[in-house]
Amino acid sequence: MTTKPLPVPPARSRLEAEPLPRRDFLGLAAGWTAGSALLFSIVGMLRLPKAAVIPAPSSRFRVSLPDSLAPGTAFLPPGRPVAIFREASGVYAISTVCTHLGCIVQAAPDGFRCPCHGSMFARDGSVVRGPAPKPLPWLEVRKTGSGLYVVDAKKTVPPGTTETA
Amino acid sequence: MSGDAASGRTATSRFLENLRSTPRRLRDTAFRSGAPVTDRSRSSFVFGNVFLHLHAVRVHRWSLRWATTWGLGVVTLAAFLITLVTGVLLMFYYKPYPDVAYDSIKDIHFVVPTGRFMRNIHRWAANVMVVTVIAHMARVFYTASYRPPREFNWVVGMGLLVVTLGLSFTGYLLPWDQLAYWAITIGANIAQSPREVTDALGITHWFDPGGLQKLLLLGSEDVGEEALIRFHLLHVMILPLALTALLAVHFWRVRKDGGLARPADAERRLGPPEASIFPVFTEAPQKTYHLAAVVRGRTPAVGDGPEHTLPAMPHLFYAEAGVFMLTVAVCLVLSLVSDAPLKELANPAVPENPAKAPWYFLGIQELVSFSAFMGGIGIPAIVLLGLGLIPYLDRETEGTGDWFGGRGGLAVVLHAAAFGLDAVLAVEAFAIRFGWIRQWWPAAPQLLITAVNPGTVIAALYAAYSLWTMRRHDSTRAGALALFTCFLCGFVVLTVIGTYFRGPNWEFYWSPAQWPGH
Amino acid sequence: MRANKLLLLVASAVSLALLVGAALEENVFRGWRRLQRDYRERLPDPSAFRVQLRQVVVPRLQATDRCISCHLGMAPGETAIAGHPAFGVHPEVVHDPSEFGCTVCHGGQGRATLEDDAHGRVPFWPEPMIPIRYAYAGCGTCHTHLAVANLDALERGRRAFERLDCLTCHALDGRGGTLRPGAATLATGPDLSRAGASGYDADWYGKHLARSRAGEPGGWRESFGPIPQEELEALRVFLDSRVGAPGLVEAKALFHSLGCRGCHKVGGVGGDDGPDLTAAGQKDPGRLDFSRVPGERSLAAWLAEHFRSPAAVTPGSLMPVLGLGEEEIDRLVFYTLSLRRSEVPEAFWPKDRIRAERFGEREFATDGATLYGTFCAACHGRRGEGMRYPGMPPFPAIGNPDFLALAPDAFIEETVRRGRPGRRMPAWGEKEGGLRAQEVRSVVAHVRSLGGGIAPAPDARPARWLRGDAREGERLYASHCASCHGAKGEGREGPALDNAVFLSSATDTYLVETIRRGRSGTSMPAFGRSTPTSPQLADSEIEAIASFIRTWEVRR
Repeated sequence: MTTKPLPVPPARSRLEAEPLPRRDFLGLAAGWTAGSALLFSIVGMLRLPKAAVIPAPSSRFRVSLPDSLAPGTAFLPPGRPVAIFREASGVYAISTVCTHLGCIVQAAPDGFRCPCHGSMFARDGSVVRGPAPKPLPWLEVRKTGSGLYVVDAKKTVPPGTTETA
Repeated sequence: MSGDAASGRTATSRFLENLRSTPRRLRDTAFRSGAPVTDRSRSSFVFGNVFLHLHAVRVHRWSLRWATTWGLGVVTLAAFLITLVTGVLLMFYYKPYPDVAYDSIKDIHFVVPTGRFMRNIHRWAANVMVVTVIAHMARVFYTASYRPPREFNWVVGMGLLVVTLGLSFTGYLLPWDQLAYWAITIGANIAQSPREVTDALGITHWFDPGGLQKLLLLGSEDVGEEALIRFHLLHVMILPLALTALLAVHFWRVRKDGGLARPADAERRLGPPEASIFPVFTEAPQKTYHLAAVVRGRTPAVGDGPEHTLPAMPHLFYAEAGVFMLTVAVCLVLSLVSDAPLKELANPAVPENPAKAPWYFLGIQELVSFSAFMGGIGIPAIVLLGLGLIPYLDRETEGTGDWFGGRGGLAVVLHAAAFGLDAVLAVEAFAIRFGWIRQWWPAAPQLLITAVNPGTVIAALYAAYSLWTMRRHDSTRAGALALFTCFLCGFVVLTVIGTYFRGPNWEFYWSPAQWPGH
Repeated sequence: MRANKLLLLVASAVSLALLVGAALEENVFRGWRRLQRDYRERLPDPSAFRVQLRQVVVPRLQATDRCISCHLGMAPGETAIAGHPAFGVHPEVVHDPSEFGCTVCHGGQGRATLEDDAHGRVPFWPEPMIPIRYAYAGCGTCHTHLAVANLDALERGRRAFERLDCLTCHALDGRGGTLRPGAATLATGPDLSRAGASGYDADWYGKHLARSRAGEPGGWRESFGPIPQEELEALRVFLDSRVGAPGLVEAKALFHSLGCRGCHKVGGVGGDDGPDLTAAGQKDPGRLDFSRVPGERSLAAWLAEHFRSPAAVTPGSLMPVLGLGEEEIDRLVFYTLSLRRSEVPEAFWPKDRIRAERFGEREFATDGATLYGTFCAACHGRRGEGMRYPGMPPFPAIGNPDFLALAPDAFIEETVRRGRPGRRMPAWGEKEGGLRAQEVRSVVAHVRSLGGGIAPAPDARPARWLRGDAREGERLYASHCASCHGAKGEGREGPALDNAVFLSSATDTYLVETIRRGRSGTSMPAFGRSTPTSPQLADSEIEAIASFIRTWEVRR
C-alpha cells in the first residue's frame, strides 16, 4: 500500500487540536440534567429489589404439650424451629436456629448440637462450645384458656422467663 | 534491575507512589485516549470505546437533520432499552405460575417499591416501541432508504418488526388476568387457523400445521401453566436474545452501508455549514483508497470523502441523548397518567366479551372475524412477504434519501392514501351492513369464504391499484409507494375499527356506550 | 447541535421532574403513609412506631391482607385509638384476625394498599367488601348454620327471652347481663351470644329452678321462676340460633319462611325453577347489569332492587314480585350476601359446614312449619291461602278448610311426594334436593294444621267406586268445568285435572265431594246446591262428571 505524503494541513483542520468552547452552558446543563435524571432513576431501580413486606406467615402458633412430656426433655413441634420444655418452674420455649449460621440445632441429651459447624448449647440455650457467638434465644410462650400454648417464634424474652405449666 | 531501584528509591516508597497514582492510572487505563476534548481525542474516544464504536467517528450533516429520520430508530432502541431494564427489574417479583402470577402482579402494583411505576413504564415503553418500529419502517420506506446497498438491512428490519410484535404479544399473557387469558386464547387459535384450510380439504388428519403451531405455542390444548411458562420463556429469554442479535446486525449494517441514505445532491442542498459549527470537514479529499481495490464488491465509502461530516462526538451524541431522554420523558408521562391494565383473575369458564387482542393485533382480529386463516396467517404472511421484497422489486435510484422521493412522489402517496382509506372503509361498511357469503348462503364451502372474504378483497384491491399505479407512472417506485401507503391505511383503519367500534360478540357499535349491559 | 442540546435539556428536566414527583407520591403522599404518620402522632411514644406496610399472611387460606396497614388498631401488637374511624379496635369475635386474615370474612382486595382498591370499589375486582351493616354475612364464607327455624318461631323465642328477663343476668349481643337485682355482688350469668355454637347445658332449666327453689343468694329466688313448657321450647329454638352472628340467623330464618327453596337450590337442596343460589353472594358486581338499578353500583343495591321487582332488573326473570317490605328485603339481601361458600381448604371447615355438606344435615329446622316455610310458602302462601302471580296460573289454597276436610293425609303426602308432572309442583319426595320421607310427613301434618286440624271423615268406600255415565259427564264437564279447568283438563284458572299423579292419588270420593261441596273462598262453586253462578247438579250428574275425569286416567 502506498500513500502520498500529506500536504501541509490548512489552517483549520480536523486534525488540529481544538478544545470545546470553554463556556458551553447549554451543553453542560443538558448533560448534567440528563445525568441526574438517570442517576435518580437508578436510585429508584435499586430500591425495587428490597421488599417492602416480607411474605412470611405469622410466626405465632399454637401447640399442645403431651402429658407424657418429662422435665428435661425437649418437645419439638413439627415444622417449627422451636424446642419446648416443661420443668417444675414452668414452660419455656427455645429457638433451635443456631446463632452461628442459621442451621437447625438438634436436641441432644445434654442440650443441643448444631450439625453444621459443631456448636454446642446447653439446655438453657447458653453456648458450651463451637463458633456460635450468642446463646439460643428464649421465645415468648403464653398459655391460652383451653390449655394450649401460643409460641411466637419472632418474639424473644429474657432467658429464664417461663409460663406456668 | 529497574531504573527506579537503580535510582536508589526503596520498594516501599515506590509502592506508596504507585498507590498514590492508582486513581489517575485507573482512569488513564480505562480511557486510553485521554479526555475527549479535541477533535482527535474525541475520535479516538469513540472508536476506542466498545459501546460507542458502533457509531462512525464522523457523521454527515444530512444525517443530523431532524427531518431526515425524526429520530424514530433511536426512539425504538431507547424504548427497547427501557423495557429491558424495567423488565429485568420486574422479574425480581414476577412468578410465572398460574396460581401466583396474578397475585405477584398485584404485589408489584401495590407493595413493591417503585413496582407499579416500573410496570407502567414497561408497558408503555413496549407500546411506544411497537408504534415507533412501524413509524421507523414507514420513514425508511418513504425516504427510499431501502435502496442498494441497504436492501438486506430492510429485511433485517422486517425481522425486528416481527420479533417486537412477538415480544409484546408474549408479554400480554404474563399477568394472567382475563384480558391476558382470552387474548392469548384467541392468539393461539389464530396459530391453529391453518386447520380452516386443511379441514376444508379434509387432510388435517395427515397434515396439521395449525394444530402443531398451537401445540408448540401452548404446550397443551388450552392456555394453562404450560402456556404461561412458554410465553414467559419466549418473553424474557428467547425473543430478547433474538432481538438483540438482529439489532446488532441491523446497526452493523447501518455502519457498513455507509450510514443513513441521503440524496446525491445532499451537500448542495445543505449549503455551506454555519460558521459556528466546527469542525466541519470541507477540504478536498486528500486520501486515496487503494485498499478498496482489493476488496470485492462495492464499498460505499469510496468516493465519499469526509466532506460535510461532523464528528459524532459531540454532535451525534447530543442528538441521540436528546431523543433517548425524550423517549424516557414520554414513557414517564404515560406511566403517570395511565396504569397498565389488570383485570380480574383469569377465569377459563367466563370469556371476556368482547375478548380483544392487544391493540396492534386488532386489525388482524378484525380480519380474523371474516376468516381465521386468511386474517390471522394468510394476509399477514402476504403483507410481510410483500414488504420484505420491496427493495428487490424496486431498484430505481431516483429520489433516494428524500421524503416521498421517486417518480410520482407525494402525489402518488396522497392518491394511494385516498384509495386505501376508501377501499377498506367501503369493504368494511359493506360487510358490516350486509354481512358476507355465510349470511346469504349458509351452505357455502369454507374454502370459498377463506379465499373470498373482506380481507382478501381489500388485499386484492390494494394489489390491483398498486399494479395500475406502477404502469401509469411506468415506475416500480410508484407502485411500491402505492402499495405501502395502502397497507398503512388498511392497517390503521382496521385497527381503529377493531379497537373502538367492535363490542360484545364482535358486533359493530358506534361507541362503547351502546354496548348492552353497560 | 443547539437544538439537540435544548431537546436533551428539556427532556431531561421533564424526566427528572416526573421522577421526583413519582418518588414523592410513592414515599410521602401515599394514603397509608399519611394515615400511619397521623397514627404515630397520636401515640404516647411515637418513636416506637415505624411507618411501614403491615400485613397478615395466611398461606393456607391464600390470604395476604394488608388492611392493617391503615386499620392500625387491628394490627397485632398495636394500640387501638378508640373512636377513630380507621384506628379503632376490631370487635371481639371468635376468629382472631391475625390467624384468619381480613378478606376471608369481609371480602375486598387484601393485597391492595390504596383505599378504593382495598375496599374493592374498583372495576375488575370481583369481590368488593361486604357492607359493614351486613358484616356477619361474611360468616357464610365457611359456615353453614344448621337447623335454622322459621322466623315466627325465632321471634317467639326472642319475645320469650325478653319477657322472662333473661337479660337481667345474661348478656346477649352486647346487651344485658350487667346487674342481678338483690345480689350481694354484681355476679352475672354466662354470655349467651354464642350459646348455640358453643353448646349449653340441656338441663339448664332444671338446674336454674333448683337453685331458685333453694333460695341461693344472688337473687335466684327473685329473678327466676317456673317457665311453661311452650315457652321453654321457644327459648330452646332461640338459644340454638345464637351462634354469634346477630341478624344473619334472622335473615336466614326469613329465607326459610318465604318458601325461597321452592324454586331455588342452596347447597343442593331446593327447587329447580330459579337459579342455584349457593354462591349468589359472590356475584361480581362488574358483571351485573345495573342499567335498571338506581343508586350505587353494589351487589347489595342490585339484590335489593331485584327483590323489589325481579323482572325489572333482570328482563325475562320468572321470579314474581313478592310484595315484601323494605325490612324483609334488607334481610333477604343480608342472607343472599352470606351465600359465599368459598373454596376454603377443608381443614378450615367448621363443624356445621362439614355436617351439612358431608353428612347431609339440614340447614333448616325440620319441623313442619319451617319445612313449609322453606319449600311451600312462596306458592301456596305463608298460611296456605294460595298465591296469584301475574303471568302464572293461580297456586292452590291448600290451607282451605274445604280442601282439608276432603283430602286424606295419604292424598296430600302423595301430592307432595310425587308433585304434579308437567306443572310447577315438583315431586319433592323424588327429586334431587327434595324432601325426605319423614320431612314430607311433617309438611303434611303442618298443612293439616293450617286448616285448624280438620280431617276428612273416614271413607269406607274403596278408592275407585264410580260407575257414572262418562258420556253424559263429558257434556256436563264441557258446560260446567271446562272454562276453569280447561276443555281437556289441562288447567287454567282452576288446577289441572288431567294429571297422572292427581288422578292416581285422588279417590273417587274426593272427586265427587269436591264437586259437590266446592271450595269456599275460591272460584270453585259447590255444585251440590244452587248458587247464583251455577245450577244445582244431581248426584248422578256429579258422578258422571267424575267418571268422565277418570277416563283420562284409564286412557293412559
